[in-house]
Amino acid sequence: MSQARAVEAETSGLDALSLQQRMELQFEIEQFLYAEAAMIDGRAYRAWLDLWTEDCSYWMPIRRTVTLSDIDREFTKRGDMSFYDDDKQALAMRVAKMESGSSWSEDPPSRTRHIVDNVRITGVNGVETTVEVAFILYRSRLNTEESMWVGRRVDTLRRVDGVLKLCGREIYLDQTLIRATNMSTLF
Amino acid sequence: MDLVQEPGGAPSKSEIRSYFDPAEGTLDRRVFADQEIYDLEMRNIFARAWNFMCHESQIPNPGDYFINYIGEDQVIVVRDRKGEVQVLLNTCRHRGNALCRAEQGNAKSFVCSYHGWNYDLNGDLIGVPGMTAYYRKDFDKSQWGLARAAQVDHLHGFYFATLDPDTPPLPDYLGEVGRIGLGLLAANGPVEIVDGIQKNVIDCNWKIAVDNLFDWYHVQYSHASAGMAGFMDIAAILHPKHQMVMFGDYGHAISGPVITPERQAEIDAMTDDERLAIAAAGMLKDPSKPVVPPRLSAARELLGPTGVRCMGHPNIFPNLWISTNGTQLSLRLPRGPFATEIWWFTVLPKALPEEVKKKQIAFSAHLFGPAGMLEQDDGENWSQSTRASRGVKARSYRHHMAMGLGQDEVLTDATGTSRVETTISEHAQRWLYTNWMNWLTADDWAELKANHPALPKGRV
Repeated sequence: MSQARAVEAETSGLDALSLQQRMELQFEIEQFLYAEAAMIDGRAYRAWLDLWTEDCSYWMPIRRTVTLSDIDREFTKRGDMSFYDDDKQALAMRVAKMESGSSWSEDPPSRTRHIVDNVRITGVNGVETTVEVAFILYRSRLNTEESMWVGRRVDTLRRVDGVLKLCGREIYLDQTLIRATNMSTLF
Repeated sequence: MDLVQEPGGAPSKSEIRSYFDPAEGTLDRRVFADQEIYDLEMRNIFARAWNFMCHESQIPNPGDYFINYIGEDQVIVVRDRKGEVQVLLNTCRHRGNALCRAEQGNAKSFVCSYHGWNYDLNGDLIGVPGMTAYYRKDFDKSQWGLARAAQVDHLHGFYFATLDPDTPPLPDYLGEVGRIGLGLLAANGPVEIVDGIQKNVIDCNWKIAVDNLFDWYHVQYSHASAGMAGFMDIAAILHPKHQMVMFGDYGHAISGPVITPERQAEIDAMTDDERLAIAAAGMLKDPSKPVVPPRLSAARELLGPTGVRCMGHPNIFPNLWISTNGTQLSLRLPRGPFATEIWWFTVLPKALPEEVKKKQIAFSAHLFGPAGMLEQDDGENWSQSTRASRGVKARSYRHHMAMGLGQDEVLTDATGTSRVETTISEHAQRWLYTNWMNWLTADDWAELKANHPALPKGRV
């Protein structure tokens, strides 16, 4: 989906909520996302993994530099190639890799900082809430290597037994050519 | 060192011939760090070789284009109005501006954003603003079309281009090793590229990224974490006792696991449906099975009796890796001595059942690329190796590349290939650097053709 169309997309399901309910939901979700970011930056990967539902999807399409006339092809689509196309099992493998003691891209570990902002609830549908955020992920590695990824995220959260869980994440980077040796960190 | 350099800073031929010592299997680290060597590589290797451009499925319609590189020259690979694939330099003949600033797309013509010069899809200059008012008709458009690659050709729809009119025709250049390499991708029928080329840039010299694709020694250690995480059984992909290195003219080579003749006989006895069922069941989890799913029966004719057993990594010199594991192609594009762009193209047979396609695409996405379970760790190793080539003291120590040197006998088959079947070795890396020196010291294609290293015979 192109960025332009995503911005045009109307919010849904929010009209049924009172302002008070929306503010409470906004606060709850912001605090959840900040805590989630702190888990990654604090290297609490197991705890982070527990935030995800068993049927979750974690996806980062490939973005291309295209002209306005080709803008519908800016991002690859589901089922085409991507940088991440993970289910819970794949996320668990990434965590297990980092914990293995042989993951050279993360040992010595990267130092990351996730800045999550512009948190905007875009849809409420039963137990699921869709949230769009802008993010900056800064990574410092070894002594001199620095990477910064900036982008838009579409997160889907689901209330399971009264507790918020992540069940979907789409990551739309603002870079096309990835200017980094690797992406061994979690977004 | 100044004494052995020619005017202008380019290293002398005798100096270049000292960089790799085939008898000792040692390599001078300067090859990863010197700007003068890099500049020579651009002229003597990339501007002379056939370079991979794209697959026909990426540009099916007139006006479809894909941007690629021949060394530092950026090119537009475009299908013109007649359906022919053109490779045009992406630089306006007026003041040099790039015509295409997108990396792919569809164009009716190429209009320069600087002054509006307009080129047809075949490179002809068809429009110049102010032809009457400013140039006063004193201008011959026919002389100012876009610069073109000297030759363009394809095999199985994989397009290549060269800037040198004297480069041998593509089939001659590829030889048996290049033919097998591309054939491995086409072995299960006509293919297409899955939409989305993964691109990232690693702070490493391009040759480290290339020689690593032959290197099955690093897999067990560099990629140990992928095994521990349960992504793949490293032992299952290694086949350390069944490795093959095949040598090709001009530096092409294939290195890696080989299907044993006994296993190949079992595969030969299977129907195509049985082979497809194995592929559909998934790969890499059962150590008793070869990593590459059985190829369909037609592959034997296409690849020959030795090629059909290949599970290793072909490299088409200089920089096109064919990865048979994920059915992918990877370009290692030089960006100065200390940076390399890595591009991953995912290739699938058109006729593959949708379910198998889905599995293959998911597997390819998880395998390589900057977030791949394997490649995450490669980039770090390559960039640190390159970095260590800069130190005054460090660079006085040559790299050791002598594994298996003098220990294996060359085998041939009826198709004229030259190979060793052995354990994990560095034969292919030595072949790469031996040929690399030859490319750098040859004055032109006449000399390259006459003097390139003969395929090994006897003991290597």
